[in-house]
Amino acid sequence: MSLLTIHHYLTTYLVFGAMLFSLGIYGLLTRRTLIGMLIAAELMLAGVSINFMAFNRFLAPDPAVGQIFALFIMAIAAAEAAIGLSIVIAVYRHFKTVDTEDLINLKG
Amino acid sequence: MIVTYMFFGFALLSILGALGLILFKHPMNGAMSFVVTLISLAGMYALLSAKLIFAIQLIVYAGAIMSLILFIIMFLNIQAKDLPDEPGRWFYLGGGIVVISPIAYLLLKMVKSLPAGDTGIIEQDFGGVKEVGQLLFRDWLLPFEIVSILLLVALVGAVVLAGKRGANT
Repeated sequence: MSLLTIHHYLTTYLVFGAMLFSLGIYGLLTRRTLIGMLIAAELMLAGVSINFMAFNRFLAPDPAVGQIFALFIMAIAAAEAAIGLSIVIAVYRHFKTVDTEDLINLKG
Repeated sequence: MIVTYMFFGFALLSILGALGLILFKHPMNGAMSFVVTLISLAGMYALLSAKLIFAIQLIVYAGAIMSLILFIIMFLNIQAKDLPDEPGRWFYLGGGIVVISPIAYLLLKMVKSLPAGDTGIIEQDFGGVKEVGQLLFRDWLLPFEIVSILLLVALVGAVVLAGKRGANT
């Protein structure tokens, strides 16, 4: 595997998707604002869908099932963004903050 | 040859965008760098010869969803003083690298045992609108309809959650 033909290999795309996914997990764990956490979750979804696309291109190109899955992931991401952002707006209206540390009323 | 350079450019840009997303303090900067990631991912999909997903990624994901998120960030009007100060940020980053590196080593070792994949030329109409659309509306019709119901539920839920309270009650 030379460096110039690296985009012909499935492994490259898998490692790339794993990097995006783990950066998303790191962002989800360490961001302190609600919107930052939401965007980090979107990054995790993007890392998963590059995996689907690479597997579809290299291992099972005949039915384009991986692309269907990528489409569905986009729809899920849209629904997640809509619901998450409206929750952020509702929280902001109630607490006047986007900092997760200030939402201490959530404990029982 | 140019494909290789395009691949490296897209990969570098998307990793840099993801790093910017987790390192920028303000959510606005993070969202803008995530747009960079999404656009380079669209280029990646084009390199994987998926034309339809390339277009949809650009239009729907990088266009519609991210402009929704940016609009909400502007709507909330977050100032620098509203943001929490994160004193242990670089400490957390170093700790995360230390924790993740053995897992990354294992992952690299494991991924070497996978099949290398087919490097051959793929047929001309792979990933076109017609093929993906026929598959979507023939074999995957029921999941497609369920996803449309999910989007409707998300729409109603967003109106209920973010709507004004106590206006008419």
